[in-house]
Amino acid sequence: MNRHIIVATLLAALIPGLAAAGDSPSPDNAKVYFIWPKDGTTIKGGKAWVRFGLRNMGVAPAGIDKKFTGHHHLIIDGDLPPFDEEIPADKHHVHYGKGYSEGRVVLPPGTHTLQLLFADQNHVPHDPPVFSKKITVYVPAN
Amino acid sequence: MKILTISIALAALVVGGAAVAGDSPAAKNAYLYIGWPNNGEVIRKNNFRVWFGMRKMGVAPAGVEKPMTGHHHLIIDAPLPPMDEEIPSDKNHVHFGKGQTETRITLPSGTHTLQLLLGDHNHVPHNPPVMSQKITVTVK
Repeated sequence: MNRHIIVATLLAALIPGLAAAGDSPSPDNAKVYFIWPKDGTTIKGGKAWVRFGLRNMGVAPAGIDKKFTGHHHLIIDGDLPPFDEEIPADKHHVHYGKGYSEGRVVLPPGTHTLQLLFADQNHVPHDPPVFSKKITVYVPAN
Repeated sequence: MKILTISIALAALVVGGAAVAGDSPAAKNAYLYIGWPNNGEVIRKNNFRVWFGMRKMGVAPAGVEKPMTGHHHLIIDAPLPPMDEEIPSDKNHVHFGKGQTETRITLPSGTHTLQLLLGDHNHVPHNPPVMSQKITVTVK
């Protein structure tokens, strides 16, 4: 009985993992990362240009269907969304559908997390999904 | 006579200036720059990464016609090409038509210049052209 529960749990853990990806393939060596800021950076005043790094894939505006391209999404103070659907567009999920490779952010004082998630022409993450490490930045009180 | 010559030269410059640009409009405040290396950087290996910085315009692969987008061209050890025609494609003019925003280049030891020039879907610079500062690096 116990064993069945374990197997069922394992299967449940595996199946969403297998399903959770969009239709657009990404190359094995694709990498998205923060050029700036680095993990642990203190941003005085909270205003910054965040520079998006991308290797072995290209940028294309939203709506453009081109293999091994996509556009950046910046997740601010949020967790990764589901990988098999469109990335939400709200203040925690900023879309750069015009093909931008950097984004201006204004963060209030406090501790914030930033993470990049690349997605295809339909704003759905690639298969496998291409996302950066989640970094933490600090904005000191004025 | 001297004044006439100067006037003609100036007129040629002005007219030339007006003509040299492609058909795709650029964002007024577009800003293109080489994020790394910095101007004057001394690099201690022949193979290094260059990243492309751009603000107020977007990247699109070659062939994709979308306003206020383009793709990067890295000019190595060469002056700017004509602004009203397709950017040449050779070892001094490297195209990033897949929408890349960084690259890895190999250069022999010595002093080199690097400059970025944005091209539209047809590899022609925008109007006005969007280019970075030309930087000099030394590879040791």
